[in-house]
Amino acid sequence: MADYREAPLATRPKTLDPNEYFNLSPDYRRAEAERAALRAGLKRQYQLQLNNPHRKELIEDPALNRWVYARANPYNHFKATKKTSLLGALFGVAPLFILYYVFKTDRVCYGGR
Amino acid sequence: MLKILIPTLFLLPTTWLTSSKWLWPTALTQSMLIALGSITWLNNTTDTGWTALNSYIGTDPLSTPLLVLSCWLLPLMLLASQNHLSSEPMNRQRMYITLLATLQLFLILAFGATEMIMFYVMFEATLIPTLLVITRWGNQTERLNAGTYFLFYTLAGSLPLLVALLMLQNNTGTLSLLIIPYAKPLLLMPFGSKIWWAACMIAFLVKMPLYGMHLWLPKAHVEAPVAGSMVLAAVLLKLGGYGMMRLMIVLDPLSKEMVYPFIVLALWGVIMTGSICLRQTDLKSLIAYSSVSHMGLVAGGILIQTPWGFTGALILMIAHGLASSALFCLANTNYERTHSRTMLLARGLQIALPLMTTWWFIASLANLALPPLPNLMGELMILTSLFNWSAWTLILTGIGTLITAAYSLYMFLMSQRGPLPQHMLALPPSYTREHLLMALHLIPLLLIILKPTLLWGWFAC
Repeated sequence: MADYREAPLATRPKTLDPNEYFNLSPDYRRAEAERAALRAGLKRQYQLQLNNPHRKELIEDPALNRWVYARANPYNHFKATKKTSLLGALFGVAPLFILYYVFKTDRVCYGGR
Repeated sequence: MLKILIPTLFLLPTTWLTSSKWLWPTALTQSMLIALGSITWLNNTTDTGWTALNSYIGTDPLSTPLLVLSCWLLPLMLLASQNHLSSEPMNRQRMYITLLATLQLFLILAFGATEMIMFYVMFEATLIPTLLVITRWGNQTERLNAGTYFLFYTLAGSLPLLVALLMLQNNTGTLSLLIIPYAKPLLLMPFGSKIWWAACMIAFLVKMPLYGMHLWLPKAHVEAPVAGSMVLAAVLLKLGGYGMMRLMIVLDPLSKEMVYPFIVLALWGVIMTGSICLRQTDLKSLIAYSSVSHMGLVAGGILIQTPWGFTGALILMIAHGLASSALFCLANTNYERTHSRTMLLARGLQIALPLMTTWWFIASLANLALPPLPNLMGELMILTSLFNWSAWTLILTGIGTLITAAYSLYMFLMSQRGPLPQHMLALPPSYTREHLLMALHLIPLLLIILKPTLLWGWFAC
């Protein structure tokens, strides 16, 4: 069976910290309890799939799918802002002209050294 | 030539008439025998340079390595496809093998053509089986988009080539590769001749691909099934390089001025696509962009029109063909186990599949041009001839080599080292077929170290 650890970068909810618990309002505590129930449901789904003896395929992680899709399809959501235009000009357009100038001058004036 | 062409042509009746039990062994055996027969072409004994010559087809030291590569690749493609096709109905399997065999036929005719129009027709004809393979046997819905990009980029680039070739035929009276080097240069008005030069070259630059026109390649390579990716990376890109090398002779006095923008694009493309590789999450996409990067170097080597440039380009084309095809096969072994191309999902494989790690290691080292492999020989020759052309190119090619090493090692470490994902259960062990496939890719690459002059083209004295 695989070990289960907490996600190393996730923050602990305030309601689980005994020093903070009594400073929080009942509404907040109720909201945190609902969120904890949702999280427990997700963990239960993962554990059910993980320990299913008839499972043959990978467990699907929707977050991973979203991340991979985002990394693979940047052009669909591209917007021409000042920053992106500057980056495009700096890395895509200007080097071509600079390199053309450098090579032409080098070959014509100095014979390629 | 006929002893290779007729068996390849008859691979088509073979696939349709053998019983389903013997289909794959028969197709494999026949294509392997064709491949072994094609190695005899490497023996170039004539003084004029053209061996196996008749009115339509011939081989010379430039086309021979590419012909042997494309013949060698067919059994490898069949080996790689056996698993994912085994669950399909028989007719579709036969159709697949038919498409690969017709592609092989067109490729042999293209590389062996002595007449430029025949080369052009075969160049276009290879698009059709590849398009069918990508759009019908690809795995994701994006395959339709990929097929469209692939077809229309290449077609749009090659229509001007038809016009340019017809103009050349009108002016010189012939398009035979044996006569064209000695014909009078084409004299047109100044601007017209620049357009003619561009028309000749654009088709091959799109096919290679050159950095600005490379968008079709990651899509097509990623969405194609493994045999499609293999043949695209290994041979179809080299059609572009081969066409450029053939036509350079005719384009001579114009080329001095016209090549600058394309060399700039090619070299900057080496760096840009290499950097994109470092950010990829999709394994096949990484290998596809690395193909663009290597082909940028090849384009640079061809465009400067020096002997070492041509030699380096030819060696790098063959070595890259074998190494890139090997990497796509390895990516396919991952895909068949996890049904996902994401690199994060298939990491730490050294613990699970240690023997496959050996092949990953050799293929990654080949990709990063480790000495004494022929990849390094090609890259060094191109690097030094570019340095001779202009000293400033060394900065670009040096950074490019560095980035190539970085992403090849990144790919190896990401897929092999590190912790295995915890939910990974059913990883079937490596099949013997997969080991055979990788061995057949990498052992020729290692053997070329012993006699690289086979691949030096016209300048192997």
